[in-house]
Amino acid sequence: MNKLMSFAPDYVRYIIKGSTKFYAWMAFLAFLSSIALYGFYLQNTEGLIVTGLTSQIHEGLYFANLVFLVGVAAGAVTIVFPAYVYHHKAMHEVTVLGEMLAITAVIMVMLFVFAHMGRPDRLWHMLPFIGIYNMPGSMLAWDVLVLNGYLLLNLICGFYYLYTKYTGGEVNRKFFMPLVYTSIVWALSIHTVTAFLISTLPARPMWFHSMMPIRFIMTAFAAGPCLIILIFMIIRKNTRMWIQDEAINLLSVIITWCLGIALFLTLSEIVVELYARTEHANGLYYLMFGLHDLTRLVPWFWGSLIAMLVAFAMFLIPSVRTNYKLLPVACVLGFGGIWVEKGMGLVVPGFIPTPIGEVTEYYPTLIEIMMSIGLWAMGFFILTILLKGAIGILVGDVRFKSAAQATSNDVANSGGIAAHGPT
Amino acid sequence: MKKLSITALIFAFCLGMVSSAFAEEEVTCFESRKGASEVVKRDLQPGWPNVKCSPKTGAVLWWGDPFDGTVPMGDTPLLTHVPPGNAVVKPRSAKLAILPLCGTACHNGVIPPTLPKDKKPKAIPTMEGLLPDAKNLQHGRGRIWCLDCHHTTQRNKLVDNFGDPLSIDQPQLLCGKCHGDKMRDWRDGIHGKRIGEWASTGKKRWFTCTECHNPHNVQDGARNRGFIQLEPELPPQLPKGMKDAKHELVHGVH
Amino acid sequence: MLGVSSLMGAGALMAQSDNAQAAAEWAEHFQGNYRLMSPQEKAEARARLERRYSAEYGKKVTVDGTEAQPGVLMGYALNVRKCIGCRRCVKACVEENNQSRGEKPGERIEWIQVLRMERGEFSKDKMNQGYPEGLGIQVGGNAYTPAGQVLEGQYHYEPKAVPEKEATYMPIACMQCEKPPCVKVCPVRTTYREADGPVVIDYNWCIGCRMCMSACPYWARRINLTNPVLPNEAMNPVTHYLGNRPRMRGVVEKCHWCLQRTRKGRYPACVEVCPVGARKFGNLLDPESEVSLILARKNVFRLKAELNTFPKFFYFYD
Repeated sequence: MNKLMSFAPDYVRYIIKGSTKFYAWMAFLAFLSSIALYGFYLQNTEGLIVTGLTSQIHEGLYFANLVFLVGVAAGAVTIVFPAYVYHHKAMHEVTVLGEMLAITAVIMVMLFVFAHMGRPDRLWHMLPFIGIYNMPGSMLAWDVLVLNGYLLLNLICGFYYLYTKYTGGEVNRKFFMPLVYTSIVWALSIHTVTAFLISTLPARPMWFHSMMPIRFIMTAFAAGPCLIILIFMIIRKNTRMWIQDEAINLLSVIITWCLGIALFLTLSEIVVELYARTEHANGLYYLMFGLHDLTRLVPWFWGSLIAMLVAFAMFLIPSVRTNYKLLPVACVLGFGGIWVEKGMGLVVPGFIPTPIGEVTEYYPTLIEIMMSIGLWAMGFFILTILLKGAIGILVGDVRFKSAAQATSNDVANSGGIAAHGPT
Repeated sequence: MKKLSITALIFAFCLGMVSSAFAEEEVTCFESRKGASEVVKRDLQPGWPNVKCSPKTGAVLWWGDPFDGTVPMGDTPLLTHVPPGNAVVKPRSAKLAILPLCGTACHNGVIPPTLPKDKKPKAIPTMEGLLPDAKNLQHGRGRIWCLDCHHTTQRNKLVDNFGDPLSIDQPQLLCGKCHGDKMRDWRDGIHGKRIGEWASTGKKRWFTCTECHNPHNVQDGARNRGFIQLEPELPPQLPKGMKDAKHELVHGVH
Repeated sequence: MLGVSSLMGAGALMAQSDNAQAAAEWAEHFQGNYRLMSPQEKAEARARLERRYSAEYGKKVTVDGTEAQPGVLMGYALNVRKCIGCRRCVKACVEENNQSRGEKPGERIEWIQVLRMERGEFSKDKMNQGYPEGLGIQVGGNAYTPAGQVLEGQYHYEPKAVPEKEATYMPIACMQCEKPPCVKVCPVRTTYREADGPVVIDYNWCIGCRMCMSACPYWARRINLTNPVLPNEAMNPVTHYLGNRPRMRGVVEKCHWCLQRTRKGRYPACVEVCPVGARKFGNLLDPESEVSLILARKNVFRLKAELNTFPKFFYFYD
């Protein structure tokens, strides 16, 4: 009990202390976040009219980011799975960082849900007992369930692990391992259900096919690790925590596979849809070539396809993917390419044309763009905090005092994480 | 909140001023055929008008009381499931300015000396002057003439198959002579227009044939259809960001 | 369960005001789903709205709550051969149903869309053309003529007069499906099918997630992007709770077959206004009704029947 009481203050104390660079970074993120707050204010006084959404195209940047970030959250399993199923040692050391990313991504998803809703003040209508929770009919209700469950699982697994590290004890495997395995399966479920959210709508032929869930998972397991590698690089550069090359290399291999399969699925869809070129291919046709001479998304599609192909080629060549100068470039290309393809490239053409054939285009407003950036900033704000705290505990900067005094081999306990780099 | 409501009050006051300033102006709009079914807008109760009119086309868009100014339709054969008094019409005679004159001034029941001996078409200069449509009758493609529909001696009446007069307010009895299938559909509520209660036995204002169709010009050259061309209402609002709708004219599949 | 009236009292206290409007608005935030309310709570909810609307629009506004009558299943039929594309139904619907009618993009809402479809151009010159040339034609030269093709239609047509010789028209609004996909996806069950047929929305319970809009194959639903622009003098004061009462920012709305009229026996506004009598409405359970007779006598079809939504809106031709 004593340990638990001191965990929170120690943890918070460590987080709020930092270098000027840290404060500058956080201030920058806070500034962007405040713009998002202003956007929230506008949307809840003026309404969604401040965005570029219309009755024709009623989902845009917010929903696109939402879908993408569910993928990032699920992508964290690319760390957890090898660590616990294949007992990959290097991966095991950094599992908790993946869990922190998952927590952040789910919170970001929820922020984007708030941003996209017409009446966020009525969210309580969804709460069971005081509201109505439309189970099992509504796929959105399932999505809420799996997302909250995933958040909870990761909070428990992540912070329980950190807490045991903090106290210097060992995890209770009887309690911990079932949760870990559940969270692995659960990660697949969040993205599957998010795919079902849009692929169960025959009204939207662009989305209405059974390839959607696996495509979602493949893109997620490519985009998630891309972001994780970039974060790992930053952590290696800026903190005393050293993430082993094997962990990064394994992630690169995972990206190679998943990005390859994702590209294969995209190209399969293109062949299937464009060979017959039915009316149901109009959405994809709009995306690739434009429809009725409206072509706003065309450069985005080809840009993202090229980015993904280049990234795939880079990942495919071992000498490139182990070259840590080039690897971040490949990761940025992969991450950006998938963000466009799966976000805007998937969501917006679902509405073009409308189910009765009206073709309009999506013009996101500055407020909408700034709001999206602001919400990403909020996410990075949370991620920085969570990662800083986790790293502090992993490298032994934060630990229970009496325990620290009693045992001197804490560093060894933390699994070979050596103090490294500039201090 | 308070500030908002004050603004709203001021706004409402201004609107009240504006509307009272224009209250004098009489608004006339048409129910079905422009020029043949005009009504004057007025308040049935304060704030509840008899009709709402389209600012763009002058067509009636909405009826405050569907039975305003109606009379019982009179007997229509086989219209048995409608209780008496539940089928009402707006009398056509009220819309035909010269009709009262027809029956008194010229065709006052006295058989005129120039009365045609048969129904063969022949020029009637007086009628052509009054009714330009009569000169080039666009109904029946030359196979029918005035006296196939109008009573020979009672010119404010129509005529049935036996030569007996029919009220000008019951054109369906005349039109049904030839257009039997349409008559049947009309009687069953499938053809034509009714306003009022939707129940099959409910009270409805029935629109008679001539309220929608001009019997002298049923072909409307430009369209070659029973119903005359009219001005459409405004298109929907362009969604945010869209400058125009020219893309709709480009074909998507090619 | 906390009584609504006590919440209203609390609301008035918290708002530090005895303003009926503020109290009503406050209490509205806490009311439950309309369908699950007791008759007493429903009456209170309506009375509250009547007070608020009357104050807001400066005239006596009634909010009706007439329930579905036994033995009535509403149905609709539209004669596509008759439709001339004049859009009077669209505007009559707006006059009746208190839609937002502002000038800024996104402030104008119309529930009916009228689609203009080209009759198509088939030409003799293209009879033996196409591609590939000379190897046996796979795609004929007269392919891609968009005759009667829904996804090739125009919504913003603006000719001087309709009907045009080279076009046909097809109005589309809510089909009041017997198996409505919008109802299935709603996470809070704010939209549901009433016993007499129409699919309705409790605007006070809608969270604005727009899943129903994504799910509707007929694009029948609209989102209130902002506080509806509804001038006092244009507002129709005869309303129904599930029908045409003024909506609020952020909620979805759609056609409900003029519930405020049809529950009182009157035709929907679009049926009454149609100058060619193409629109027919009646009780599907009454064999003598216009709609039943059309189903018995005419050739009818349902739009996108392949989706198994089973619309109660039928298209027919004669």
